Amino acid sequence: MLELDDELMQRFQKGDEDAFNLLARRHQQSLINFIARFTGDKDNAEDLAQETFIRMYKAADRYKPGRAQFKTWMYLIAKRLCINEIRNRGRRNRFRVDNIATNDKTYRENDEQIDIIATAPADAAFQPEVALERKELRNAIQKAIAELPEQYRFPLILRDIQGLSYDEIGKILELRSGTTKSRINRARLMLKDKLKPFMELL
Amino acid sequence: MNCLQAEENFSAYLEDALDYQTLQRFESHIAECATCRREYARFSESVKASQQLPQIEPSPYFIPTLQQRLAAEQRGTLSFWQRLLHIFNMPKWALSGIMVLFFITATVTFLYHDDFFNRETPLPNEQMSTPRTGLSSESPSINNQFLPSASGTSDFPGTISTQPMQKHYTLKRVSYTTASTGGGL
Repeated sequence: MLELDDELMQRFQKGDEDAFNLLARRHQQSLINFIARFTGDKDNAEDLAQETFIRMYKAADRYKPGRAQFKTWMYLIAKRLCINEIRNRGRRNRFRVDNIATNDKTYRENDEQIDIIATAPADAAFQPEVALERKELRNAIQKAIAELPEQYRFPLILRDIQGLSYDEIGKILELRSGTTKSRINRARLMLKDKLKPFMELL
Repeated sequence: MNCLQAEENFSAYLEDALDYQTLQRFESHIAECATCRREYARFSESVKASQQLPQIEPSPYFIPTLQQRLAAEQRGTLSFWQRLLHIFNMPKWALSGIMVLFFITATVTFLYHDDFFNRETPLPNEQMSTPRTGLSSESPSINNQFLPSASGTSDFPGTISTQPMQKHYTLKRVSYTTASTGGGL
């Protein structure tokens, strides 16, 4: 029995444009998150996500439902686009490690404080300091992930943020099961070391 | 099991994926080694924290923008005939609207076009055969710059004059606004 994604792809292949729109709606958030976490660039993530969907749209005829999972195919295309983007960014010589966590720090810290206070629940137990610390920790995690080498960053994001299985990750990264597992473990160990200064917050 | 081997099994232990033998050896090592115990605690906390990162919400313009881009892509790949046929895939109300608009435009153009009511009746054959050379004082004045010459040749260099065409020009260029006629025929 075909999965819903495969069924929608089949309908799209038969000319139903709405089926592709539905697929885009279903996967937009996970794709944007994956790209934003990998490139460390939230602003550009939507553009790259749209580019991914456009490539899928163009290559839809070549997709074989049942043979490869739609999600695997989507991340595979996104991964290539992310790698190209990072290389081009390097060529342009304006590498931004992270615009979610590091750039224009003072400006964003002020914004975050306002955000936290503005969105705080009307609860006497609410402590703005704790909320700010959590925010700081989230930024530190994002920065640590963005600083991981590419070969470790991809599997870690796919596993811990996107929640994919080892099999799916292996297919996307074209790795064997053992290699996938050891890379994820290694990536987590590296992340743990990078987050050492923040451990008391955890 | 030494510390390095234990570290290699952190993920598998966290995800409960160790086989029974490895699990026994791992747990006995962790029970004995305080460093590994502390490192494993940090490991599991950092994994948990990264799994709890908040999701980024897509902007409300993501899907509409994507749809526009996909439509542009589709237009780019269609041939002329496919694009022409695409008109008939439009909703019926849109097609009906276009047709109604077309008929209104055509009707208005047809009714208000100068030539429709102002068209002169064709002259009889015998009159058409002789060029008009003189006009009485009662006749409306004629702006004769386009009149044929008496020799029958056209005033326009390089053109061949024919009688019906000359008559047509003559009638079309009658002016009704000179002082001699007082603005009337």
